[in-house]
Amino acid sequence: MKLELRGITKSFGSLVANKDISLVVEPGQIHCLLGENGAGKSTLMNVLYGLLTPDSGQILIDDKPITIRDPKDAVAHGIGMVHQHFMLIPVFNVLENIILGSEDVRPWPFIDREAARTRIEQIANEYNFQIDPDAIIENLPIGTQQRVEILKALSHNAKILILDEPTAVLTPQETDALIEILKTLKEQGTSIIFITHKLREVLAIADVITVIRLGEVVGSTTPDEVNEEELASMMVGREVDLVVDKTPATPGDVVLSVSDLYVEDDRGLTAVKGVSFDVRRGEILAIAGVQGNGQTELVEALTGMRPVVSGKVSLNGDNLAGRSVRHILDAGVAHVPEDRQVHGLIPGMSIADNLVLDQIHSPKFGGIFGRKIKAIRENAEVRRKEFDIRSPGIDTAVGELSGGNQQKVVMARELSRELKVLICAQPTRGLDVGSIEFMHKQIVANRDAGAAVIIVSSELDEVIALGDRVAVLYDGRVQDIVPPTTSREEFGLLMAGARSTEATGVTP
Amino acid sequence: MSNVTTTPEIVTIDNLRTITRTRSLGYGISLIVLGAIEVLWFGSTPSSIHTQIQLAYNSATSVPELSSWLRVLVLVLGVLVLPLAFGPSVFSPLPRLPRAARIVAAIVGVLFVAWPISLWLGINQDGQIRDFLVSVSVTGYLFGAISAVVGAIVVWRRFDRLASPLLYAGIVLFILAFLIWVARITPIDNLPLPLTGILWGAIQWSPFLALGALAGTMSERSGVVNIAIEGQFIAGALVSTLVASAMNGTGISLWLALLLAGSIGMVFSWVLALMANRYRANQIIVGILLVSFATAVSQFISDAVLDVHQNLNQTLTLPTWNVPVLSRIPVVGPVLFAQNIIVYITIGMAVFTNVLLFRTRWGLRTRSVGEKPIASETVGINVFRMRYAATILGGFLAGLGGAALTLGKDTQFAFGMSNNFGYVALAIMIFGRWRPYGALVASLLFGFTASLGAQVSIWSGQTHIPGAFIDALPYAVTILVVSGLVGRIRPPAADGLPFVRR
Ligand SMILES: Nc1ncnc2c1ncn2[C@@H]1O[C@H](COP(=O)(O)OP(=O)(O)OP(=O)(O)O)[C@@H](O)[C@H]1O
Ligand SMILES: [Mg+2]
Repeated sequence: MKLELRGITKSFGSLVANKDISLVVEPGQIHCLLGENGAGKSTLMNVLYGLLTPDSGQILIDDKPITIRDPKDAVAHGIGMVHQHFMLIPVFNVLENIILGSEDVRPWPFIDREAARTRIEQIANEYNFQIDPDAIIENLPIGTQQRVEILKALSHNAKILILDEPTAVLTPQETDALIEILKTLKEQGTSIIFITHKLREVLAIADVITVIRLGEVVGSTTPDEVNEEELASMMVGREVDLVVDKTPATPGDVVLSVSDLYVEDDRGLTAVKGVSFDVRRGEILAIAGVQGNGQTELVEALTGMRPVVSGKVSLNGDNLAGRSVRHILDAGVAHVPEDRQVHGLIPGMSIADNLVLDQIHSPKFGGIFGRKIKAIRENAEVRRKEFDIRSPGIDTAVGELSGGNQQKVVMARELSRELKVLICAQPTRGLDVGSIEFMHKQIVANRDAGAAVIIVSSELDEVIALGDRVAVLYDGRVQDIVPPTTSREEFGLLMAGARSTEATGVTP
Repeated sequence: MSNVTTTPEIVTIDNLRTITRTRSLGYGISLIVLGAIEVLWFGSTPSSIHTQIQLAYNSATSVPELSSWLRVLVLVLGVLVLPLAFGPSVFSPLPRLPRAARIVAAIVGVLFVAWPISLWLGINQDGQIRDFLVSVSVTGYLFGAISAVVGAIVVWRRFDRLASPLLYAGIVLFILAFLIWVARITPIDNLPLPLTGILWGAIQWSPFLALGALAGTMSERSGVVNIAIEGQFIAGALVSTLVASAMNGTGISLWLALLLAGSIGMVFSWVLALMANRYRANQIIVGILLVSFATAVSQFISDAVLDVHQNLNQTLTLPTWNVPVLSRIPVVGPVLFAQNIIVYITIGMAVFTNVLLFRTRWGLRTRSVGEKPIASETVGINVFRMRYAATILGGFLAGLGGAALTLGKDTQFAFGMSNNFGYVALAIMIFGRWRPYGALVASLLFGFTASLGAQVSIWSGQTHIPGAFIDALPYAVTILVVSGLVGRIRPPAADGLPFVRR
């Protein structure tokens, strides 16, 4: 179907998120939307899907104007959407989440679970997405949740499919699989709107690219006409340095030492199986690996969010294993959690308060009589400028920020203390190229200021760009610790469970 | 593995499991302590002292005899039915029945086996259930030993899932042992302990508590907190009595009374749903206002109408239904299977709400709306409509619960009769983990504790235990048991949160 948006304007209070945006998606076209964090991409899509009501503008399908009052109307018009923040019920299982809203009933009003199971298995096979229909969503790693969300959208046989940053949490293999699926759908005549910050993906699948900046369309192009650098500067409005610019590390003494660590996952299975490594001051240890190989549990154990079964974690010789989160944070460990919506932020609280969550018990921001509001506000103003958090003000609730700006709030908070150790899980998830550049600079600056840094990322590019050494995690064990100059093929093998062939003696 | 670390100091969802493990430690030790007290206190009674246990529910209950061949037939039937409860795991050709059917098979099987055996053992004398004597010290030793051994197993195996129900059972055993001790035969008096009467009392408590808890379950599953159940009890009780009395308690009037009691409950819930959905009011406040409203109106009607026209407030009751065959079983028959119709209605409603919430499309959507309404909306579900429906349907159950207080218990309406049971029903809903069968079981447990407590308070003269303490007992036990389930009890995530469309 052909989709056209005409002059969509949407504002939140004084902030105009979409300014007179017009867009045409032809049948069988993959239309990529590109733009900085907070540019208004999700807002536009939510308007299209009926979650937000536009102030003005018109939506046309096959040249006929339609009204979309709520998602029900959108679904009825054949529009499907994969949301940036998952729309899954955490306590339901995969099957229930996928069928919700389009359940088969036989006999009425009973849910026909067997039919649903067959249907899901069929779609999963068709698109080569392996998934256990009985798994409870909240027990699944975030990448798997994303797959469920995609399957859900696919199962509705949408004629117009919107994907809002579906690849932010997927592994490269999963992303490739998704791209194949999208190409198949495109051949079948589905119109696709695809939002991503990864320029390589854009160039790989887009038929048309539309760039939005500050709520306005700034240009439209095709992959043949541009390269990554040009796209980046179109988006951000300035030159962007796509390679991390860092000097070789000058590692000092060992700061954080992990030895023979065992950790269990939520189901009580051992997820981290005897991990040992050291991180020195002034170096970045990147932890690579396909999601679900123990990274989440490792980080949570290091930061006190998950009990340690056995093993040692010591910070400058002091034991951290089994200590409280408060103790660990106060000892100088900063933590950027994997899932900002669950662990990093309190969506209903203001930016200013979220920025001091970890220090509210310190005399700087809190006291016996409550918060020191002036100090908190001053701090927020500084951080907002420094980290370029795009929002109407520091009192905006964090939940109202765009996804990338939420991530910036977490980073801003964690990087604004005296640090001995910085642990970042997926630090640039959902950030635009400009912000990634900025974040990478910040991380390197922290390293150079003497912090020991651990970066966990499923993004190989990021691992290679940032890491001074790279530990590859596979099935809960450190497969090997190699230099970032190792070839991509070698990394691929290590991540798939093979032992390193060239025994590089970089382990200190 | 070396260097096993200590338990983390703070509670997060992730380390709750570790904490429940330590909880099983505390619960197990409590059981052992209870057992020790039983042995030391009751067990030390001279062994010649006995207590008379009354098994007849009341002296008028006569028990039909069974001829020898009928006894054998019943026994054979029981032996045949019982394996169905286990299914193919004991004998492979057996069919695998659904869980509810297995539970029914287990109950019927056990009763059918016990029935003839109890007759052979001479439980029945001249058409009456015989009382029998137990030794106070033997009870003390026996109960104490059971409690201590179970406690030790809980500690040893770290039974965190079972710790809390087992502690509950331990407390009940303790109270029973205590009652047996209080009722011991002395030269000056002999109070038989009415065991069956206590059971009967438990069932008297259950219907309205269960219906109230089911009402709460329904609306909270959709994300609306209904704290007005107390008010719905009052309104339902008043309306049912008025309607039935006005029509002089004829057969049809009782059913009409039930229907109208349910309807007034629905009106209350409609107001609540309207305030919660359209005006996004604080649901707790709205609930409290509804209760105050119901209380005030009921007082007015009670003073201005019922006191003047006494024929509008008659003592009426719904018919009793004797379940064929089962109601003829000695002891349990008249207690469990010859009950006021409201008991069966309550069980039916629990089954109905369970099927509705967990098997149907409507239920899946309702629960989704109670967990994460924004997600429901994105798949085209009308959040408000689901919330209205679930809350109002729950209102019917709460109103019915009001009728259970009057027509279900053979009592007339009295101001203040609901006695805050509406709030107790909410606790039972939590104890039942927002599940209909959970609500049913929890209401029975609460009823049983309350009934035991009532027995203790009847005898409070003998025990020197303050009456107020005894009245608090069921609540204290409930709180203890509910708190033991913390971490695994989780309310619907969007419970009480108004949904805001952007
Ligand atoms: N519900 C809301 N209330 C107030 N402001 C909002 C709301 N939703 C979005 N905004 C604001 O609108 C702007 C656009 O947000 P939007 O989510 O569309 O950005 P985006 O382009 O999707 O960015 P990202 O790449 O980070 O996801 C942001 O400045 C954001 O703060
Ligand atoms: Mg977005």
